[in-house]
Amino acid sequence: MRNGSGRMLPNITRRAMLAGTAALGGSLLLPAQVRAQAAQPVKGGTLRVAMPFNPAALDPLTGRNNPDFNSLFAIYDALMDFDPNTLELKPGLAKSWEFTDPTTLVLELVEGVEFHDGEPFNAEAVVFHLDRCTSYARSNVKSDVASIDKVEATGPYQVSIKLKNPDASLPAALSDRAGCIVSPKSVKEAADGNVDRNPVGTGPFKFVEWRDNDLIKVERNTNYWGDEPYLDAIEFRIINELNTASRAVTAGQADLALNLAAQQIAVARRDSNVVPEAAPSLIYYTSFLNYKDGPLADVKVRQAMNWALNREDLNRVLMLGLGQGHCSMFPTGFWANDPETENYYTHDLDRAKKLLAEAGHPNGVEIETWTWPDQAAVQRQEVISSQLAQAGIRLKVTPAPPAQAMQNFLTDKKGHQLLSPTGGLPDPSITYDRQFSGNAYRNAGGIELPGFRELMDASLSTFDQESRKKVMYDLQRFVLENALHLPQYLSAGMTVRTPKVHEFVFGLLNRPKFHKVWLEA
Amino acid sequence: MHGIAGMIARRLGQLVPVAIVATFVVFSLVFLMPGDPAIIIAGEYATPERIAEIRHLHGFDQPMLIQYVNWLWKVLHFDLGTSLYSSEEVARLIVDRLPHTILLVVYALILGAAVGIPLGILAATEQGSTLDKIITTTASLGVAIPNFWLGIILVTFFALTWRIFPATGATPFWQDPVEAIYYATLPAIALSTGVVAVLARQVRSALLEVLGSQYIRTLRAKGLSSGAILWKHGLRNVAATMLTITGLQVNRLFSSAVILEAVFAVPGVGSLISYSALNKDIPVVQGIALMLVIMVILTNLLVDVLNAILDPRVAAST
Repeated sequence: MRNGSGRMLPNITRRAMLAGTAALGGSLLLPAQVRAQAAQPVKGGTLRVAMPFNPAALDPLTGRNNPDFNSLFAIYDALMDFDPNTLELKPGLAKSWEFTDPTTLVLELVEGVEFHDGEPFNAEAVVFHLDRCTSYARSNVKSDVASIDKVEATGPYQVSIKLKNPDASLPAALSDRAGCIVSPKSVKEAADGNVDRNPVGTGPFKFVEWRDNDLIKVERNTNYWGDEPYLDAIEFRIINELNTASRAVTAGQADLALNLAAQQIAVARRDSNVVPEAAPSLIYYTSFLNYKDGPLADVKVRQAMNWALNREDLNRVLMLGLGQGHCSMFPTGFWANDPETENYYTHDLDRAKKLLAEAGHPNGVEIETWTWPDQAAVQRQEVISSQLAQAGIRLKVTPAPPAQAMQNFLTDKKGHQLLSPTGGLPDPSITYDRQFSGNAYRNAGGIELPGFRELMDASLSTFDQESRKKVMYDLQRFVLENALHLPQYLSAGMTVRTPKVHEFVFGLLNRPKFHKVWLEA
Repeated sequence: MHGIAGMIARRLGQLVPVAIVATFVVFSLVFLMPGDPAIIIAGEYATPERIAEIRHLHGFDQPMLIQYVNWLWKVLHFDLGTSLYSSEEVARLIVDRLPHTILLVVYALILGAAVGIPLGILAATEQGSTLDKIITTTASLGVAIPNFWLGIILVTFFALTWRIFPATGATPFWQDPVEAIYYATLPAIALSTGVVAVLARQVRSALLEVLGSQYIRTLRAKGLSSGAILWKHGLRNVAATMLTITGLQVNRLFSSAVILEAVFAVPGVGSLISYSALNKDIPVVQGIALMLVIMVILTNLLVDVLNAILDPRVAAST
């Protein structure tokens, strides 16, 4: 037979027709996942992301909070890349790196990369950037690069970093803010070098606009040095209220909502049209303790508090079981987490009471406690208070906004403990340093117990991964034996998305990368 | 007209001292709130050295009066400063966000008046009847029901279940008026319930008082119809009351918009000021406080001008 154009149509036999129909019908019987897994990435589309936090800045050096990374890695590449689920470092803008001696780190850079403003990425750009990390008045990452003494371009695509002391955590720090390379030209052309609101990087997406606390828009970088991203653009809508952010996905107004809490996951699970996910995270909930002064200067009181907690119950009640209820600072399976001491403290009220009596508090003890005033924090405090009260540890609680609570406890040294989430850092040494080093802001007492410094220094000067793991295990045991804090549970990276979003990974650090994300048509 | 012009001049003259007093009070309250904004600015990278650096950079180590005078000096040069946390210009923030809040407030006001005033009239003309009781009870409920709860109920049914309206967001009115009104409908309905309730009750009371007055009884005795009494005499006499109460609602609506903007993710000034106050983002709080003072004074002025047109005695006395 002929079609309207006069050309002969293919000769479709009855047998072929039946075979084709059978194949089509058979494919529809396949489980939906199998059919979805077979789906190929599609180029195009604008991903609509709902996120609760307005970035402090889109300059990686002047921002300050982890959720800023929701949009940062779209615009910037870092010197080191990382596996989102293990944090194993991978080549980024530095295609290789090596400690030629304990205080010299040499980076070999990728060639042929351009910033979004057309300027070439090279060793000079990295030197300019790292100098800015240490010297720019508004840089918040000075402590991350405190070990850097001098940075030199020792070739057009080679950078040598001289350190004041060994620092095995530096490569991981260069996968973080300090390593997100900002275009030097954009900094030089900006008034006062302020590029908070005009970011220029080398990332897979270029910045388009930022309506404060409303919308950030980025579009595909067609000149990207790696594989071009699939998405045409991403719109990050800032929706401060978590339920509203989740509802945006349910209502079809967003494709993905980030940084949610357990409550939104529980509600989303009742809707078959969306995909709620809760993945392991490096954020953990704990109490910063003043172990220099007051009742918590006695290790037995601190240990008693740790024995009194029922962490599995805390996880069940406060995280709806989506987190991990143990006393490590790292999730199960993470390389620096020692599975043997992960449950160093279990729920043992008798042991807690015995320790309190040995410490001279047979009738219990009162601990002045700061907590945040939001609903989730108050609920957390109430559950913890009731658990500790069973061992005779009474919390005298004062809710205060985070800035006030931190000032009162960490600066003015009032009270004995502060309930707070923390963590989410790219290297375990940095995590220990930020919480327990003598000069750490979160160390209210400002002291280091004997033995800590040696372990801390060893973690920074041990470069072999297996040996370093052992040092981390020792640090974990030291922190737990001395009960330097009151770990409660680990959080989860919680998101809700539509099934049309593929290849999205929130990762341990909750710092998504959208390079490989694609949208079904 | 001379009386009205004089009233406008007097009111505008009051604007400057009122604005200075109001912004100084707001500044003092935020300044005295415990908590160091430098700690928030330093964020997760806080070290004692970094916090001290930030305090010096932003002048937080200066006395309170000096900090206020610095802010006031910049305002006199039309510079509202920048947000401590996002470096966005405060003026830009207000210009971008205020139209969303104004649209919500005006939309809620129109809805509230369109429903509340007729209900009030109906209740007054049917005084004592079952209809009057239903309207009065509903009005009480309208005041009692939290509008954020109502907002969530509206979203659940009209957005998530029936998909008639969007659940979140807003479109600038200048960009697409029809879409802007579409997005603002659910939050405006939630916001308007308080207006409906207050207007219904107040119009009912005012109208009952007028309809019970001696001169209305005289008009009735002269054979004027109920309709004519109501529309030509009754409502005219309560118009000033309705106008004043409606104007007062504007102030209340601005504060109520704070929660609804969070529920519906409307990027207005309400959500911005609550977030900024909690974080001691003083330039933003001051800028919005100044803007609100100006808006309240201008709104009250508009109401008084309209009242003066309706009743020239008002202009002379205010």
